[in-house]
Amino acid sequence: MSHLSCENITVRFGGVSACSDVSLSVKEGQVTGLIGANGAGKTTLFNVLTRFQESETGHVYFKGQNIDDKKPHDMAALGVTRTFQNINLFREQTTLNNILIGAHYMIGNPFSNMLSFPRARRNETKLVDRAHEIAELLGLEDHLDTLAGNLSYGHLKRVELARALASNPQVVLLDEPVAGCNDEETEDLKKSIRGLNKNLGISFFLVEHDMSMVMESCDYIYVINFGMNLAEGAPLDIQNNQEVVKAYLGEE
Amino acid sequence: MAAQGALIIIYVIASQGQAVLTGYTGLVSMGHGGFLAIGAYTSALLTYYFNIDLVVGILAGGIVSGVFGFVLALVFLRLSGAFMAIGTLGFAFFIGTIVNNIPFFQGRTGISLPSNRVFGVEIGDIGFYYVAVVLLGLIILFMYSLMRSGVGRAFKALRDSEKAAQSSGVNRWLFRTLAFSISATITGIAGVLSGHIVNYVSSEVYADIWYSADILMGAVIGGSAMLMGPIIGATFVVMVPFFLETMADFSYILKGAALILVLWIAPRGLAELIGRPFSRRRQKKLDKARGVT
Repeated sequence: MSHLSCENITVRFGGVSACSDVSLSVKEGQVTGLIGANGAGKTTLFNVLTRFQESETGHVYFKGQNIDDKKPHDMAALGVTRTFQNINLFREQTTLNNILIGAHYMIGNPFSNMLSFPRARRNETKLVDRAHEIAELLGLEDHLDTLAGNLSYGHLKRVELARALASNPQVVLLDEPVAGCNDEETEDLKKSIRGLNKNLGISFFLVEHDMSMVMESCDYIYVINFGMNLAEGAPLDIQNNQEVVKAYLGEE
Repeated sequence: MAAQGALIIIYVIASQGQAVLTGYTGLVSMGHGGFLAIGAYTSALLTYYFNIDLVVGILAGGIVSGVFGFVLALVFLRLSGAFMAIGTLGFAFFIGTIVNNIPFFQGRTGISLPSNRVFGVEIGDIGFYYVAVVLLGLIILFMYSLMRSGVGRAFKALRDSEKAAQSSGVNRWLFRTLAFSISATITGIAGVLSGHIVNYVSSEVYADIWYSADILMGAVIGGSAMLMGPIIGATFVVMVPFFLETMADFSYILKGAALILVLWIAPRGLAELIGRPFSRRRQKKLDKARGVT
């Protein structure tokens, strides 16, 4: 069953086609990957899926429903969150606050919230408890009071993920989750993603350059080249696909 | 003395209003003097024609100002950064020109107000001072609550990274508008007090653009993202001409220099600078408790 998908996506910037007639589907309960060279259109696709970018043609679907008219801020409530390639955390805020903002859509009525009415306060406590649980899941419970700007790179990556999980999402889109990570950090993240996928049933969509990570983490992979679908399939099929090897993986 | 104290409080409230928009939500407004004027004139006209209680004036001035803030947010929705700064400056000029030229507002001649009444009781300078203190207390309580709430988090998120805020679910239109409205309401309330403290409003004061500068400087010099910031900053802004005495005309040279100095050395404001040794100590304690080096 398709969780999040797009069909016939075309995006042009000026005269340049970033994406041409691209379609892909993130299947429920799976880890789906997207690989392609730099400039192949991955980021544009990412932004289309998260509604930051409009497509000239085609449609975006969530569980079969057309979500073309959704705004970026509607996605979290829908159950779709994302992380950013260049860590987009709020550096001047604590880890806890960074995670809490991920649960923003759960704050209820803004007026009772900002005036700290009793019900809003009880709600806040619930959100903070949730944030603690998520932090524990990702090994961040000792750093909740630390300002995000003071965290190590590996920890920052985990806070990004924690923030994306705060709203209880069904689908999480990861933009180069292990970019700049050393082997240990990469292994940790791989394990976390696998664990969240298996235990919480979260569907993942990840865009990555780290081939071993993609091949080991994903159930299904899409390859795009020059803004167009090149191939799709299970990791083994992709590795053996001659066109993919030629265009992207390199002859070995 | 009471009048001086009340004046400082008025500026503190005005700068707190500025801080909500600029410091916490990251939207630059250079026209908050406009909200000061709207608050002042709303209350002044109601008092002049209907002899209302000061409390009613405060509510009315705040609400009307808030509505203007809401409208302004809609108008400037697409703008940010420098363009919003220019737009808001334009707004201040606009309001100033209106109150100066449209006869209804009695321009430079001004509107004289009767003595202030709070819940029916007439109050003098000292009574007014207490009213100002109570108002400041309520506003600070509100801001304390706001900044620790989900709404406050949303404001700060929009400031620090709009894209990340949106993908976390923050509706940038809704919260921008909310920030603008709250900011305008608070500064509008300061405006009401500014007219009633001297029982007189005239466009000679409210068409003066420099008040927008004072409000902004009070917030920035003190620290627009901290609760204590505008208290320090606004006190400084008000006291400068007082200390310069005969050289009061040179006030803005000093204030301008202070602004540049602060932005250069301690951009987060004096309140943050003063608080640094305390926050460093707190961080060290936390690290120690956790066994982190």
